[in-house]
Amino acid sequence: MRIASPAIEVENLRKIYRVREGGSWRGRTREIVALDGISFAVPRGQIAGFIGPNGAGKSTAIKILSGILRPSSGLVRVGDLIPWENRIAHVARIGVVFGQRTQLWWDLSVGEGLALLRDIYGVEPDRFARNRARLADALDLHAIMDQSVRQLSLGQRMRAEIAAALIHDPEVLILDEPTIGLDAPSKLAVRAFVRDLRREQGTTVLLTTHDMHDIEALAERVIVIGHGRILADSPFEALRATTLSERRLEVDFIGTPPVFDLPPGAKETERDGRSVTITFDPRQIPAPALVAHLGALAGLDDLRIGRPAIEEIITRFYADHAS
Amino acid sequence: MKPRAYLTAFGLQWKIGLRYRIAVVAGLVAQMWFGAISLMAYAAVYHHAPDVGAPLTLRQAMTYTWLQQSLFTLLPLGCLPAVGDAARTGAIIYDLLRPVDLWNWWLSASLARLLGNAVPRAVLLACVAGPLAALAGLGAWSLAPPASPGAALLAAASFALGALLSATIVMLWNVMTARTLSPLGSYAIGTPLAVLLSGMLLPLPLYPEWARIVLVLQPFAGITDIPIRLYLGASLPGGPLGALGVQIFWLVAMTLGGRLWMRRIIDRLEVQGA
Repeated sequence: MRIASPAIEVENLRKIYRVREGGSWRGRTREIVALDGISFAVPRGQIAGFIGPNGAGKSTAIKILSGILRPSSGLVRVGDLIPWENRIAHVARIGVVFGQRTQLWWDLSVGEGLALLRDIYGVEPDRFARNRARLADALDLHAIMDQSVRQLSLGQRMRAEIAAALIHDPEVLILDEPTIGLDAPSKLAVRAFVRDLRREQGTTVLLTTHDMHDIEALAERVIVIGHGRILADSPFEALRATTLSERRLEVDFIGTPPVFDLPPGAKETERDGRSVTITFDPRQIPAPALVAHLGALAGLDDLRIGRPAIEEIITRFYADHAS
Repeated sequence: MKPRAYLTAFGLQWKIGLRYRIAVVAGLVAQMWFGAISLMAYAAVYHHAPDVGAPLTLRQAMTYTWLQQSLFTLLPLGCLPAVGDAARTGAIIYDLLRPVDLWNWWLSASLARLLGNAVPRAVLLACVAGPLAALAGLGAWSLAPPASPGAALLAAASFALGALLSATIVMLWNVMTARTLSPLGSYAIGTPLAVLLSGMLLPLPLYPEWARIVLVLQPFAGITDIPIRLYLGASLPGGPLGALGVQIFWLVAMTLGGRLWMRRIIDRLEVQGA
C-alpha cells in the first residue's frame, strides 16, 4: 500500500536576513536568524494552526511556503514541488489570504476581480461558474458581487478575499491572520466556511492567527513557533491540556486588597489599585475553591475569570523552553 | 504560458487609462499651449537666423513639436502607478503569488497604461493641430502629414517599437520601485531623464552637432525622436534601418538586463510584516 505523501513537508528550514545598520556608506551588516532549522509535515486535508508571537518567524515561514521568499537552507515540498524553484507551477496550486493586504482590485467590482483571476489562473469557464456560485453561496457574496471593492466593509472584503483565494481550487490554502479586525459574526462566518471547505473539498489549510478562538474552532493540530524554532507541535487537545489549562482570575476587592498567601497552584501575578490578578491551575485548585479562599480574606466587589492571552502563553512557553 | 492573463493585465490598465476623460482634455490644453509657445520660439529663431544650418526646416520643427507634444504621455516618466501602490502597501506580495511571468505581466500592464493615456490624447491633438488648424487658416503652423508613404510605413513600425521600448523602460522603474518600496525615486529619476533625452524639451536634431550622434544612440531617443524623424523623412545617422536597429538593440538589451535585475531584486524582496 502506498502512503500518500504529505501536502506540506518542511525539513530543517533556515532563513537568515542580512540587515544593514547605520549610514548607507559605512553601515555594517548584521545577521538576523528568522528561522533556525524548523521541520514539520502537514498531511493532506488537515487544518494546521501556526502560532507564535510577532517576530517569531511565522510570516517568514509562510512566505517561503508561498514561494515568494527563498530560504537560506533547508527543504520545502508542497505537493512535491519546491516552491521557490517552481514558482509559477507552485503558486497555481495554492491559495493565499494575507489578512492585512488586499488581493482584489480597488477599482473593480468583486465579480470583475474574480473574472480577472479566472484569466490569470486559466480556470475553465464551467469550473469557474461552478466555483463562483459555490463560493458566493458559502460566503454570502451575492449582494456584493457588483460592488466595487473600495466600497466594501472589512468583513465583506475578507469574505471576498477568501473567495478570490479559492476560485482556482487550490490544494493548499494558506490563511495569514484571516480574522484580524473582523467583528464577531464575520469571524464566525469565516471559521464556519474554512471548516466546511476542509470537510467538503479536502483542502489542506495552514492558518496563522493571534486569535486563540480561531485555533480552538479550526485547528486539529497546533505548531507553536518562537525565535525561529518550533517549541511545540501537537494535537490541539494536548496543547490545551498542558499549556492552556491555566486560568486567570481578576479580583476587585472592596477597599485596598490585603496581603495574602495563596493555596498551591495559584500565584499572584499583578496588583493594581483595588484589583489583583491571580493565575491558577484548575487541576490543583478549582476556581470555586480559590474564590472561596479569597472571599474569606476580604470583601470582594467583582470577579473576572479567563484564559491568558496567547502572547502570554507563548512568551512563557518560550521562557520554559529556552532554559 | 497563458497569453490570456497578459491580455487581461493589458485590458485592465487600458481601461484605467481611458477612465480619466477630464485629464485628457486638460492635457490637451496644456500641450497645445506648450506646443504653440515652442512654435513661436522656433519661428523667431529661424526668421532671424536663416543661416543657422539646422538639420530640420521650420516646417519640420513645427511638425516635430506637435508630434512630440501629442505623445507626451507615452514617455516613461516613472513606474506604473499600480506597482507603486502595491510596493507602498505591501500588496506587491500578491503579484508574486500569481502564476504568471512577472516581467511580462507588468510589461503588459505598463504598455497598456502608456497607450491608454497616449492614444486618445495623440488622436485628439493630431486632429486639432493637423486638419483643424489647416482649415482654420493656420496651415503654416500645423502638423504636416508624413513625408512619403514609405516614411509613414517606417514611422508606424518605429512608433510601435518606441511604445514597447518606453514600456520596457517603465519596467526598469517598476523593478527599482520594488527594490526601494516607494514609487518616488522612479519619478525623480525618470521624469527629467525622459523629458530631456527623448527630445521633449528640445528636439534632439537641434542640439549642437557634436552631441547629436550620442543623443540618437541613447535609449530614450527610440521612444519618440527616432519615429518622428522617420515620419518627417529627416536624415538619421545610419539611415532609417540603422535607426530601427538602435531601437531593437535597446529593446533587447534592456529586456535581458532588466529581467536579470528583476530576478535579483525579487529574490531579495522582503515584504515586511505580511
